[in-house]
Amino acid sequence: MLFFRSEERVRAWCADRREPLRPRVTMDQLWSLATTWYATRLDEDSRRPKAEEMRGIFASIGLDDPFWDPSADLFA
Amino acid sequence: MDEAARVKIAVYGHFAEIGTRPSPSEVAQRAGIGEPGVLAAYRVLRAQRLLLLEPDGTTIRMAPPFSGVPTQHRVESGGTSYFANCAWDALGIPAALRRPGRVHSLCEQSGEPLDLSVERNGPEPSPWLFHCSVPAARWWDDLVFT
Repeated sequence: MLFFRSEERVRAWCADRREPLRPRVTMDQLWSLATTWYATRLDEDSRRPKAEEMRGIFASIGLDDPFWDPSADLFA
Repeated sequence: MDEAARVKIAVYGHFAEIGTRPSPSEVAQRAGIGEPGVLAAYRVLRAQRLLLLEPDGTTIRMAPPFSGVPTQHRVESGGTSYFANCAWDALGIPAALRRPGRVHSLCEQSGEPLDLSVERNGPEPSPWLFHCSVPAARWWDDLVFT
């Protein structure tokens, strides 16, 4: 889970390493994920989102590719 | 509050205040329970995916978003320096602390430095991107690699 300066940088890195190009996430989308996962992490009753919740969270910010599905078996 | 919750609060409280991982004895003191109880709680928290331990089973590697070891993702907030496990967690630290921070990292391809201000309502406008090679279903297979 890495930062890249631009789309071109992501594509070059994937090509160099022969890694598949995965969905790119903007900083605003990443902030949504960071707050959803961690805003209550220091609280007593906080917990990590469950798989079914994760799908909804990703979809709510436009990340609806199977790549983001924690139950997907497409990548096993 | 059960012991696992007390240990979780102690671990995360230590990270938030100090910026580094606590030892089991520090967690025991903060949680008010013995070290065997701390280590038992670690196993519960690992199952809940709130903690990742080193192979010794007693040293904290990750209490996401906090990293127990230095990484390329550093966050400054409130006069304390933190290491994040990944790009996602770099934004997760200001989110967890609920206070502004400054993220220092780099472009994985070019090495260009990232210096990003994060306020309570999010990061400053930025064209930088986040990319993850590992699909969500495989993240916890090897979280350090992810």
